[in-house]
Amino acid sequence: MIDILFFGRLGDVSERLHIEIPQGLTDTDGLSSWLSEQNVALGIELGKVGNRIALNKTIITASSPLNDGDEIAYMSPLSGG
Amino acid sequence: MTATYLKICQESFDPEAEHKAFRDAVGGAGAIVAFTGLVRGEGADLTLTLSHYEGFTESQILEIAKTAERRWPLAGWRILHRVGAMKAEEPIVFVATASRHRRDAFEAADFLMDYLKSEAAFWKSESAAGERRWIEPRAQDIDDKKRWTK
Repeated sequence: MIDILFFGRLGDVSERLHIEIPQGLTDTDGLSSWLSEQNVALGIELGKVGNRIALNKTIITASSPLNDGDEIAYMSPLSGG
Repeated sequence: MTATYLKICQESFDPEAEHKAFRDAVGGAGAIVAFTGLVRGEGADLTLTLSHYEGFTESQILEIAKTAERRWPLAGWRILHRVGAMKAEEPIVFVATASRHRRDAFEAADFLMDYLKSEAAFWKSESAAGERRWIEPRAQDIDDKKRWTK
């Protein structure tokens, strides 16, 4: 099982997911594409610039392998302070 | 030893009490700079809501603060950041730095705020009259952060 979290604007279009790694998926790029196919509104948001992805609470800038137990966070542009 | 303190809190805080606590913690420092960010009072019915990514946000802020420690000789820093719903004039963020001389404290506080605005995992939305909109970094926020990499 993996946990997929969505923050900011992305959280408006998808709830947190706790799912088995979909058949045939091996990495985070594949997961992003799969999510976009499942949820069109999410796909539109994921295609916007400025989003970030964290794998197990570490920001990734390239596709990374997916493993059972992973936590993947999709984050819209950050805005603190 | 650097006096450090980070708190992400649901409840409001008192900036004056935080300043006093910081001053006590960094006894002997020659300079303290403290910044408080408030919810702008543009509409009494406006609610600002901030969320964060528990665990991740804290570790990101600690990394930002470590960068500041490497860059300026700090006696300490103190950061509080609100999450949850808040109203006009409530404090959102408190950043204080202490050093032997003023310039280091000024610059470190400025640096910390610039990075908290656009590199710390917070998401901000405002709602009024049943409408909600997300607030994302302005071009100015991005430019402010770039000042530190020139």
